[in-house]
Amino acid sequence: MALCQNRLQEERKQWRKDHPFGFYARPQKNAQGVLDLKVWECGIPGKEKTIWEGGLFKLTVTFPDEYPTKPPKCKFTPPLFHPNVYPSGTVCLSILNEEEAWRPAITIKQILLGVQDLLDDPNPESPAQAEAYNLFKKDRVEYERRIKRIVRENAAP
Amino acid sequence: MDSLPLPTSLDEVLHLVRALYAPNPPKTIGMIQEVLQRLQKSDQGWQLVQSLMLQPDNNTKFFAALTIIVKLNLENKNLSEDDAKELLQNTIGWTLQSMGDGTGDFVIKKLCSALVTHYIFFSDVWPRCVRQLLTCLDLGRTAPVEALDDSVETSTLVSGLDAQKMALAIHFATVLVEEVGKTEMSSPKFVQINERLVRNTPDVTCLLARAFDRITEGYAKQAMACYQAWILYAQRVPQNGPLVESLRNLVAPAMKCFPFDDLFEDTAGLFTEVLQNYSTFLTKPQQEAVFTIFHSQWGYGHYSRLKEDAWDRDAMLYGMLMLAYGEATVQDLITSTDPQKQSFLGYLVGILNVKGYLVSDDPIFVNALDFWSVFVETMVDTAFSNEGAPQPWRPYADDHLRNVVMHCWQKIQWPPVEEFAQWDSADRQAFVEIRKDVIDMLQSLFTLNGVTLVSYFVNLYLESLQKQSWAEVEATLYCLGGLSDCVTEEAKYDNELSRVFSLPFFNLVGQVAGPIPLRLRQTGLSLIEKYCEYFERHSEFLPHSLNLLFAAIEDSALRAASARSISTLCSSCRSILTGEAATFINHYRTIRSGQVLDSITEEKIVHAIACIIQAIQDETLRLTMFEELYGNMSQDVERAAKLKAQPDILDLSDPNFSRGLENWSAPQPIPPPEEIAKQIALRALRCISSMAKGMQDIQEHVVELDSDTAPVPREGRLAGIQAGIVRLMVAARAMFDTSGEIAETICNIFKAGFSETEPGPFVFPPDVVTDYFVQQPVSAPRLGTTLSTACSFIGSLYRGPRMLVPSHLARLLPWAISILQSLPEPESDTEITQNAINLVEKILPKYPSVVFEQPSQLLEFFFLFTLRVLDGKEPLPKGAAADFWSVFISLKLEDPALQSRVASAMEALGPLFTNSLIRNIGGNAMRSELDKLSDPLKKLVVQQSRAQMWLESALRDLSSSHVTAADKSVFLKRVLGLRGARQTNQVVRDFWLACRGSNFAYVS
Repeated sequence: MALCQNRLQEERKQWRKDHPFGFYARPQKNAQGVLDLKVWECGIPGKEKTIWEGGLFKLTVTFPDEYPTKPPKCKFTPPLFHPNVYPSGTVCLSILNEEEAWRPAITIKQILLGVQDLLDDPNPESPAQAEAYNLFKKDRVEYERRIKRIVRENAAP
Repeated sequence: MDSLPLPTSLDEVLHLVRALYAPNPPKTIGMIQEVLQRLQKSDQGWQLVQSLMLQPDNNTKFFAALTIIVKLNLENKNLSEDDAKELLQNTIGWTLQSMGDGTGDFVIKKLCSALVTHYIFFSDVWPRCVRQLLTCLDLGRTAPVEALDDSVETSTLVSGLDAQKMALAIHFATVLVEEVGKTEMSSPKFVQINERLVRNTPDVTCLLARAFDRITEGYAKQAMACYQAWILYAQRVPQNGPLVESLRNLVAPAMKCFPFDDLFEDTAGLFTEVLQNYSTFLTKPQQEAVFTIFHSQWGYGHYSRLKEDAWDRDAMLYGMLMLAYGEATVQDLITSTDPQKQSFLGYLVGILNVKGYLVSDDPIFVNALDFWSVFVETMVDTAFSNEGAPQPWRPYADDHLRNVVMHCWQKIQWPPVEEFAQWDSADRQAFVEIRKDVIDMLQSLFTLNGVTLVSYFVNLYLESLQKQSWAEVEATLYCLGGLSDCVTEEAKYDNELSRVFSLPFFNLVGQVAGPIPLRLRQTGLSLIEKYCEYFERHSEFLPHSLNLLFAAIEDSALRAASARSISTLCSSCRSILTGEAATFINHYRTIRSGQVLDSITEEKIVHAIACIIQAIQDETLRLTMFEELYGNMSQDVERAAKLKAQPDILDLSDPNFSRGLENWSAPQPIPPPEEIAKQIALRALRCISSMAKGMQDIQEHVVELDSDTAPVPREGRLAGIQAGIVRLMVAARAMFDTSGEIAETICNIFKAGFSETEPGPFVFPPDVVTDYFVQQPVSAPRLGTTLSTACSFIGSLYRGPRMLVPSHLARLLPWAISILQSLPEPESDTEITQNAINLVEKILPKYPSVVFEQPSQLLEFFFLFTLRVLDGKEPLPKGAAADFWSVFISLKLEDPALQSRVASAMEALGPLFTNSLIRNIGGNAMRSELDKLSDPLKKLVVQQSRAQMWLESALRDLSSSHVTAADKSVFLKRVLGLRGARQTNQVVRDFWLACRGSNFAYVS
């Protein structure tokens, strides 16, 4: 638990010192206004020169007590139309999976950049929602039209 | 690539080495490199080094030194202790010789690296390598390692070395710690070398102390780098007490370098780094010694220069040092009332206020803001953890924070447009990001200062408004907007906000022509959105603000923010705004008759108006308003139909037609009229979908499950409206029958009504919905989405009166299965497969009779289909099939006739299903599917008496080269023994791994 808190303090510090443009990531506040380091509200911008450019997508990152031994859970709120996002909004990504590529050294910055990469580079091996996965596979033109619309609906201010 | 033959004489080698460093084509160099590498690795390699070292030219000597490194790395195991000693003597000898005969610096450095490489492999030969090298340097010749003694103090030794020798020794000590530091300290292989390295620390500190003492001799810069490398290393060493103690002795000598211009950068860099990353390295008195700098005349000189020009490199570094010191001691700074500490904090506040604009003139603001964010957050923790305790420091801290807020507010003011236009895009982006960082800090500060902070900005707003200082007004409104997430509905906040939200504010934001900058209007409009809860409580200005927002829609730069605000306000304040419905519909009509809005904006506006209509109490008025709004969309669809039928009526100067061009941009050719017609219809449907969402009731009502009627009218005005909407949707689907987007949007319209419990235009009678679904042919686009919508529909049926349900299910079920029958392969459309299986799974446990009343042929197809899906590769349909089987296996029925049908089905299908399941668990599935697949296995073991037999048979049939019959039987025993307990998942996982051929040992 203490390890989790210390690491998150450090992550917060590092993020403040150095974060990529267009992203935001901050711990939620509890009722008294004190930060709850275990739940972060983040924003992932669509990457430049991709169909996701111009969008900003809200992601809630929840850290378990066993963090950093175990990975955090990332959830788009509201759920995002994307082949690797579950209908609940949870992101399916190897670096977020304890049994796959998660390592305790992975930083929040790396996670958010990883999720940003995933947006335009879905992994058809691990589908998480039928609709986006199917459209991505079967009708790329309509898939891209749909993404462009989602980007406009979630335009970065 | 052809390879060259190995050279046979020294001359040939020399020739090759010279050619290697001469300008030659890459291919030639590659070939030379390859042959020389072979030579280095050959038995003659050591001899080669000897000969090359005697050569006069630098490149040849460099190559010789490189050869030592290569051979040490490759062949260290072949060298005896005596060989190693001899090599060491020679290498030191060559190094000393090179220093005396004018050999190039790069050769000497390479020889140093060779010595370090030697130490990595043979640290036992010369554990105190630094002392050994210093002794040799002092003697001017190489000395045997056995001769090393402590008869002369290291400090005496170094005091006799000239500048060149000092520089060499420092270089060696730096490379040494860097290279040894790269080894894995905790691994047994490297424990000893790290221990031996640490034993060199006293010699290194003597060396560096001497260097810091002779600042003018030219090697202090190098010494600083060496010192930093040792501190960095010490930080990583466990139980580093004596090492750190030793290194700490150099803090004072190193600090003496601060005032020297050419050493300032390195010294400040070192102390900043230590304070940032390893502040405990400095003892309290040492920290205080650093602190005295900040109050020295000299320090103040740097600070003053920083305030004038943050790009002055030394001044900037000085600022960074101050900030690093501040962060390292922040807790102490917060709670101290010491005047010097307070004045230091005052300096740190001042760094927020250096001359010039953010980023382009002032790169240090962002670091200073970072410090103050840490300060505020630490202060919040301190204040909350010691609540009730006296806080004499608080007024001081508050005082500083007031200035912090003021400087931040000044800095985030937009520069004049002309100025901003000259910035490059990175600077512009950075400016916007910093504004957000400031808000982040203000939000933390709100926790401490709450209403005081709000009140501060409100006062600033009123003052800047009076001065007509628009950049100031904008920054104030921006900060207030940033606090909207924190501000609660308490009266104290409303009182403050009421001072902002009054006539002058609305006049300001509403000013179309005039001096008010666009950015200010944008910020003002978004402020309205951010405080929409305030407007719920203070409705007097609500219509006024909304009219303003509608007017702002016409301005493309303000459109997005205004549409968002309109949507938020109308949704949350709907019941206050019911009287405005007609006015807003008129606004909407006016806007759309004059220009083409982008569809997202239009949908937001339509959604907003629908929210208001939903809240109108009087049904007649409600439906009238609904029809008013809806009429626009139905006319669009009619126009689309007409255009499709008569393409020549297309008139692109008419916004009613050009709205169909949204996806088009020059220089693409203008799409054909039919495509334009489709876009017009699609936009209309999307607007209807937004209306449907807006019309959703936000209050909860009780549902009577046992009532036998649905809450839908069969006749009357509402029924007429509903019939019209359905007609429109069916017509649009038929007209553009290949459009997936139209099919999908219709599904969204239906979905919006499913969650409703009260009558409404989109709460259609269930038979209308069922009719629509079952009429969708297998050729319809996006059938997967339609099936998923049908699943939601079934969910809504379950929430309504029970009587009606079976008849609908009995129509939907064969429709869904018939779609599966039309698929060429189960995996040819994963969305269809998944959702159709989901649909059956949703019906089965609640209405099993509906399922088993279907023709047996249909059912047989379906069951076998799910088995094919289980044997497939697509995870999502496979998951659905696994869920379906879990439900089917655990089906409990009261009706004996039905029970016997299910039992005979199970009898026939059970073995097939078990085979398929075991094939998956036996290695076919992906790891991520195992949990899903464990579920039906657990159910099978618990519910089916013949499970053991089926499993035995399936395991017998499982062909795997990695598991034996005994492994299989252990697996079965465990699964049966667990009786469906959670641990089954782990057993499944282990068996899967074993079947995949990992090194897993299966022990019973």
